[in-house]
Amino acid sequence: MMILQSQIASILLNGLQQGAIYALLGIGLTIILGTMEFLNLAHGALYLVGAYTGLIVFQETALTNGLLYNSGITSIGFEGGFLAAIVLVPIVGFAVGLLMERFVAEPFYDRPETDQLLVTFGLALILEETVKNVIGGNTFQSIAPSTVFGVNVSQPVSLPLVGLFPSWRLIIIGFAFAVIGLTYLAIERTDFGLVVQAGTRDSEMVRLLGIKINRSYSLVFALGAALAAFAGLIGASIQTVSPQIGTTQALVPAFLTIVVGGAGSVRGAIAGGLVLGVILSAMTQTYSQWAQIVLYLFVALMLIFRPEGLFGTAEVGE
Amino acid sequence: MAEDTSVLSRRDVLKTSGAAGAAGLAGLAGCTGGGGGDSEYSSLGNYPVEGDEVVFGFNVPQSGSYSQEGADELRGYNLAVDHLNNGGGWVDDWSDLSGDGVLGKTVASVDGDTATDPDQARQSAQRMINRDDAIMISGGSSTSVAIAVQELCQEERVQFQCCITHGNGTTASECVRYSTREMFNAYMTGAALAPVLEEEYGSDLNFYQLYADYSWGQSQQRSMNQFLTEGPGWTQVESVGTPLGTSDYSSYLSDVPRDEADVLILNHYGLDAANSLPQAIEAGLDQDMEIVVPLYNRLMAEAASDSIGDIFGTADWSWQLENGPTQTFVEAYREEHDRAPSYAARIAYTQTLQYAAAAERAETFYPPEVIRQLEGHEFDNAGLDAETMRECDHQAQRDVLVMRGLPPEEQTEDRLLEVLNQTSRDDAGYACDAGPAADCQLGDYGDE
Repeated sequence: MMILQSQIASILLNGLQQGAIYALLGIGLTIILGTMEFLNLAHGALYLVGAYTGLIVFQETALTNGLLYNSGITSIGFEGGFLAAIVLVPIVGFAVGLLMERFVAEPFYDRPETDQLLVTFGLALILEETVKNVIGGNTFQSIAPSTVFGVNVSQPVSLPLVGLFPSWRLIIIGFAFAVIGLTYLAIERTDFGLVVQAGTRDSEMVRLLGIKINRSYSLVFALGAALAAFAGLIGASIQTVSPQIGTTQALVPAFLTIVVGGAGSVRGAIAGGLVLGVILSAMTQTYSQWAQIVLYLFVALMLIFRPEGLFGTAEVGE
Repeated sequence: MAEDTSVLSRRDVLKTSGAAGAAGLAGLAGCTGGGGGDSEYSSLGNYPVEGDEVVFGFNVPQSGSYSQEGADELRGYNLAVDHLNNGGGWVDDWSDLSGDGVLGKTVASVDGDTATDPDQARQSAQRMINRDDAIMISGGSSTSVAIAVQELCQEERVQFQCCITHGNGTTASECVRYSTREMFNAYMTGAALAPVLEEEYGSDLNFYQLYADYSWGQSQQRSMNQFLTEGPGWTQVESVGTPLGTSDYSSYLSDVPRDEADVLILNHYGLDAANSLPQAIEAGLDQDMEIVVPLYNRLMAEAASDSIGDIFGTADWSWQLENGPTQTFVEAYREEHDRAPSYAARIAYTQTLQYAAAAERAETFYPPEVIRQLEGHEFDNAGLDAETMRECDHQAQRDVLVMRGLPPEEQTEDRLLEVLNQTSRDDAGYACDAGPAADCQLGDYGDE
């Protein structure tokens, strides 16, 4: 019985950590999709922007190839540390999101979804290849700090039932849920949030009520981008950083999350991320060969039996 | 050197007499069927080679996770082409080569992107064969890619020189006549690593394996299980597959029984290992057990440099070896690229030169004759002491390097690992009727 309890606790903790990243990605994507009905396949590229910005802010990193290296620049970044990265990465993500909305998304709001898919996927590839060519195709080490506020976080801690667990992963669970909580409050308790919520339910009606929702679009897009960039920073602190991470680690999980949670719902994105994280963790720790199969089967069943997701509205996309 | 003991070839006579100018060689090659249209051999694959150039195709990952390794391979290939045409490096030392091209023809090359995907690699190789008339193709950074391309090359009668492929299958059940592999394989890694691990960690231990769930990872974990069980008498607790390209191993690592396992073996390569190893250490598994990464490469060592201290593994070759050919190659590579070469660059360089030398010995590009020159070829001029390209399975019997990761404070840009042991080919190798070779049935030459 003790072994079973221990395994369940381990599954939940690992699922929570993975689910937090999925939720961050999902929230960003879902508010953009819900409010603007804009399919953003470049969302993974924003994760990439966050990871590389974090890398640059966190530490000085040696280069061994790429345009910068060939131009005589042998290292990039400064020793800002992780706390500086936590502040700066969302700001950079926000700024990139504003630019993306203005120059890429906005001209395509009234175009067919296939056009939106093509232009945003193209943008993702351009960003990925640009990073690869400028900074180089190197794979960089993860950027977890050894101490936070003077506390050593490089050693695992012993938890009841779970046993040894990486202390840094506990901290990032905390960081991630703090940001998720703040975002939730911003959406639920502010005027801006009310407009966004109303927009996700029926953007046409919001316009008819005299609210200039277009002004909110840029902010919504930028907020979604900032969350994706923050997810990239969190991801970079536990996994290696390379130009492919946006498409391989972020894009698909983000879409799976909103399929499960429901398009346009922040609560749905949080729930969807956590459900997927726990399913993946549970299957990996019990029947690992079936983990991916069960994950996608679950998503397929959601699409068949509850296409609006856990908390979504049927309005979006119709 | 082994080559110096072989029968004096026509090219040796020409080189010694100093009468072998490029024009003369080209003329002679034409007379004997070196590649012109008036050959004594019938057409086969892309033979005969028309014109003044002979084309080699270099099929490497230029996008995706292994693009960095592919770039290293291309550097090795391009250096080989440069040396074949203009002299330098090993070309100056290998008696079969002149530095005036191959069989009087200038070597040209085309490259393609495999994206580490067997289908894309096969298409890229097909293009090189059909459009560019490549007489030889080399490349790969994955066993599944190598197997796909060598199968195509057997069908098309074009020689494939394996670059990076470490899974057993390439020279076992999937072996073909039109492909040779100098790189060692998973079986040889197991044979070389097991005695070292026994000496370092003792006998009667329990080990737990994680492996990348595709052809290479599966053969690697089987080989580790075989040699650790048969040799030191260790017991496998469990072996768990992880999808190729996994980035977060935390759930897999949570399942490792800390009380039961003494050694954790991470059968992951490149990017997979660059994530799994640091995450294993982050989880504190190194406090409860020893960790082993059977196959190192530069990408992984760089991306996990903080975590590789005292971790054992194997490598194809190291620039730190002190033998003459190694130092010659390192010097030539440094002149061009200003840093020490990875083993990916050396294999690429060697494979290009091995093919060229075989063609020179055969005095023709006619594929079956080139293959016959490669088969059974003994050499000791490629940086790894004595090697034999074995006839029965086209797997080189050669030494295997056992490496140990250096602690971060002892690392430099190029030196992340140290050579702990050069396991003799007699200890790492196997007979033609044993190990992976027992499953190998080479295809036909095409001229029977």
